[in-house]
Amino acid sequence: MSEWQPKILAVLCNWCSYAGADLAGVSRMQYPPNIRVVRVPCSGRVDPLFILKGLQSGYDGVLVSGCHPGDCHYISGNYVARRRFAVLKPLLEFVGIEPDRVQFSWISAGEGERFAEVVSKVTEDIKKIGPAKRLVKGA
Amino acid sequence: MIRIEKERIDEFIRALMETWSVYAPARDGKNTLFAPVEDPAGIDHGIFNTDKSPKEIFFPHSEVLFEFEGGEIKKVERDARPIAVWGLRGCDARSLRLLDKVFGSAWQKPDNDMFEDPYWKEKYDDSIIFGTACNEPRSTCFCNWFGAGPHDGAGMDVKVVDTGEAFILDPVSEKGKKYIGSLKGWAEATKKDVTKMKAAAKEADKAMGEVFGMDGIQEKMADLFLKPVWNDIGAKCVNCGACAFICSTCHCFDVQDEGKKGKKGKRIRIWDTCMFPIFTMEASGHNPRDMSKDRLRQRFMHKFSYFINNYDEHLCTGCGRCVIVCPVNLDIREVVREVMACEA
Amino acid sequence: MTVKELRETVKSLLTEGKVDLVIGWGKGTMPGTSTPVFIDTAEKADSLIFDSTCRNNLSVYFTKDRRALAKDDKKIGVLVKGCDSRSLVLNITEKQIDREKVTIIGVPCNGVVDMKKVVGKVDGKEILEFTDDSKKVTVKGREFELTFPLDEVISDSCLTCVRRDAVEYDLFIGEAREPGSDENAYAEVEEFEKLDSEERWERMKQEYSACIRCYACRNVCPSCYCNVCFVDQNDPQWIGKSPEITDTMIFHIIRNLHVAGRCVECGACERACPMDIKLLLLNRKVAKEVRDRFGSITGTGLENKPAMADFKEDENQDFIMG
Repeated sequence: MSEWQPKILAVLCNWCSYAGADLAGVSRMQYPPNIRVVRVPCSGRVDPLFILKGLQSGYDGVLVSGCHPGDCHYISGNYVARRRFAVLKPLLEFVGIEPDRVQFSWISAGEGERFAEVVSKVTEDIKKIGPAKRLVKGA
Repeated sequence: MIRIEKERIDEFIRALMETWSVYAPARDGKNTLFAPVEDPAGIDHGIFNTDKSPKEIFFPHSEVLFEFEGGEIKKVERDARPIAVWGLRGCDARSLRLLDKVFGSAWQKPDNDMFEDPYWKEKYDDSIIFGTACNEPRSTCFCNWFGAGPHDGAGMDVKVVDTGEAFILDPVSEKGKKYIGSLKGWAEATKKDVTKMKAAAKEADKAMGEVFGMDGIQEKMADLFLKPVWNDIGAKCVNCGACAFICSTCHCFDVQDEGKKGKKGKRIRIWDTCMFPIFTMEASGHNPRDMSKDRLRQRFMHKFSYFINNYDEHLCTGCGRCVIVCPVNLDIREVVREVMACEA
Repeated sequence: MTVKELRETVKSLLTEGKVDLVIGWGKGTMPGTSTPVFIDTAEKADSLIFDSTCRNNLSVYFTKDRRALAKDDKKIGVLVKGCDSRSLVLNITEKQIDREKVTIIGVPCNGVVDMKKVVGKVDGKEILEFTDDSKKVTVKGREFELTFPLDEVISDSCLTCVRRDAVEYDLFIGEAREPGSDENAYAEVEEFEKLDSEERWERMKQEYSACIRCYACRNVCPSCYCNVCFVDQNDPQWIGKSPEITDTMIFHIIRNLHVAGRCVECGACERACPMDIKLLLLNRKVAKEVRDRFGSITGTGLENKPAMADFKEDENQDFIMG
């Protein structure tokens, strides 16, 4: 039997992380095919509801990635997002969501290699904790 | 009338469980509600009136109507045994009767063709209700406003009176008589029991507050519809659904599909309430009950005006649950008093 | 402070025309309850009370569809405990209330009574009479009478409260006390954090499975004032409306995040809950994070920006993948 493969939702900002993913692709870098990418204009656009909705509808993990601090296309979108995630992550852990289930990273348009690394790391982490059960509707 | 000594009550319930799916008052965490009985020892006979109303036995908060996959529709199988409810208070028994007018056949007459809800009927029609007479009504009880009383048996099949050492089962309806008649191995109630029952009923009646006359409230409500009195009554309401969701008679619902659109999922019926803005939100974005006071008014209009027009009764039985849970102490009894005191 | 002082103060405000309306508390219809009252004439002021039963946060009456209250030309006075005043401050900093148009009247709070705790003291028996002063509570019922210290029955939110008196006011009835230290305010949160992840999830599930989705918690909250709440949106419909546990949890988690850095931990939600869910634990977890990470305590100063609308460039980002 083949190994269980997690399904991971990756929410990427248009200007940095999505371009980083693109670079990883055109540079023919290998990374796990477990992510499903949703492109958003900015990490500041990411409503915590998107993340919870993803978990509820059966994603085993969520990765949110934006521009490095200081590089936001909209000047401060990622700073605001950072505060939001700074509260969201501990709160999710508090209610009993496994710490590695939801992760955040900064990846620039030039960091194709880093993108591949982050995706590999997140996929490995989620494989370790296994399929999502908590907060999954109908589980 | 038969007599069941308290130490033998579990035996009685166990026998009931052989053919019926029995619901009785129980504690679930911090709250009390009517739960399916797995072990008669888990029944809390001392619970006065459950925090959650028993309407959810027959009209669940969220009920799967059917499941679908592709073009296939699948009926949801439920426990085939008929439902027996133990420990229902008079107010709640009458509430179920009111709901039966809406969902069931209680209001079916030769000249009107009322829609009958199959999901309600399959549960309520075959059910048997063992009601418990209240020996110690609370200060929030006002069933006597509606012509009933703590020892009233309306809406029950069998009335159960706690005399201290025994439960006396007094059949009220034909169904109840038939059931009690079919029982074997239980003693008849003695004369002493009957005297005790009468004394308990008298005590309980005394414990009730004064009756407030509600004659003509339905016309009064209708006349006051546009009057500013609702601004005053509605001022403190915060428009949550606590009153409606713990109410034993509120029965508005929403129907939704959950699952993958057009592929696989279920259609569910969920409680809804006129207190929520989305209840009347129209597709255009217009909301005819836009302000909080409009929505509050609707709830009372339904209870004390529209329902009387449609079904000849108040949509309230005086259980007092909303009085207890309202976060701003908007007391339904005060609303009635204010309305009745108001010049049209 | 005496009730007489309170009533006289409100009367003179009304007769001198300094305010057109005062929102306060009056006696409720059950023992141990109060109810919000709207006083627009000096005569009505005699129905005002203030004691440990005044558990509503009256700032809520400036929000939602009553927003107009504080925007039109009416001058409104409102009675506030410490927590209520913080809610007002938050709403003022968020430009929901015009500071000039509201007269804030502080009253000295010793904590508000959680009736569920009182009922627990008498083994669930019905309470027919309730009296209290600033130190103790006396209850009577059929065949019992019991007196106990007020501190044993005040709401959980009051137990750790260090700002019992208004932080912002125009007049204060009595003497406003200085805030204490909130060093140990989050002991309960820290206890819960120590449990392992699965245990936390199981406890949360247990607690929140009682939720009937009546939204009383949201509706009594002065910080929850979106025009259309996300649970009321149906295009797209974000979450299911049934009391299914994941939908319920998502509602509560998101509500908490929406009031992150905006919650004053008044506990109104918890007291409003008809199912007695310990709602405040999540709020307090968030408040702790906000305090520790951003050094912000909600509603303590008119010049403070709400934490989530603010940022510093070099902030702790230990939760971001390295």
